[in-house]
Amino acid sequence: MDIGKLKKYSDLAHDLNVTKRNSLEKMRARQIMAYEGRLFRADAQTINTVSTLKAHSKQFYLLDTNDNPCHIKDPDDFLRKLIERNQETLNTYSQLHDTLKRRK
Amino acid sequence: MTTGVLMYCFNTPTMEYSKLALKSCELIEKNLNLTITIVTDHETHKNFPQVGGISYKIVKHKTQNYRFYRGQNVPWYNMERANAYEHSLYDTTLLLDCDYLCFTSNLLELCKSDNDFLLHNKVHDISGLNRILGKLESTLPIVWATVVMFKKTERVKAIFDMIKHVQQNYEHFRNLYRIKFKNYRNDYAFAIALHQLQGQIKTNDFIPTPMNMLPHEYDVLDVDDSSVVYQYNKKVNVVTDTDVHVLDKEFISV
Repeated sequence: MDIGKLKKYSDLAHDLNVTKRNSLEKMRARQIMAYEGRLFRADAQTINTVSTLKAHSKQFYLLDTNDNPCHIKDPDDFLRKLIERNQETLNTYSQLHDTLKRRK
Repeated sequence: MTTGVLMYCFNTPTMEYSKLALKSCELIEKNLNLTITIVTDHETHKNFPQVGGISYKIVKHKTQNYRFYRGQNVPWYNMERANAYEHSLYDTTLLLDCDYLCFTSNLLELCKSDNDFLLHNKVHDISGLNRILGKLESTLPIVWATVVMFKKTERVKAIFDMIKHVQQNYEHFRNLYRIKFKNYRNDYAFAIALHQLQGQIKTNDFIPTPMNMLPHEYDVLDVDDSSVVYQYNKKVNVVTDTDVHVLDKEFISV
């Protein structure tokens, strides 16, 4: 492969990597949601934690993104909102990912 | 309970910040749907529309500061931000730089939290080259005063009073924390005030995600309702539906 093609390949890889990184940041920013006055990240870890605690208790305490405790009185409502926000952000990211794949 | 945006905007001989502020206001009205107050001076005020949903507070800006921008020192009026607590008309305030472009409603989530003072302590360079933070710039945990959510509480009043104290004695604090930059920077004043008020222990309450920034070496080619197109080294890229702090101030004249 000549150097010109390699340069083009490198430029494209740069653009794709930057776009992917920025899209992930955009997704993480959108995953921040307020609940009962606290800030949570609607990511897989929070969803799993809430799901596990919910299986064992009707109410529980959870630390928010700044390590402040929050009393979760309605785990079903909280889990539903977390999953909704999580899937909204992943759906957006997935669409962009498909676009990037087509550019490769 | 009222929530609104507070913005400081003073034109300088080299930069028309009012144009940036108007673009920013347009996006705030669209994406945050909050009322806006702009603190400005008489001269800059003439560049703003005299009708519409924006409130103005006219002040006389303090002594001129300067900043390093694209290879030269340019005038910069940034001393008034310390008075934001007094200038704000709202119970919950989003204090924003006029070059911070809100393309999402993400900041509204911060206002719904019980926190009374939130700002960024991390930054994401959207160019991918991590050019924002240099090494050994100070011995202080840095924060960014570009986006600050605050409520009117006694603690927040103390923070702003401390910021004023730091501003008045900036040379002392600059030496104390070995800050590399000689000019007054709100980022450092806010960081110092928080560090001092928390008993010289690293604080914990920050905006959970990093602030997106586009370094000033990057030229902004276009800004529309949802995206920023930028260029560096002939590489053009776009960031869409993402709040971003744009350091290239000249794009607004394009």
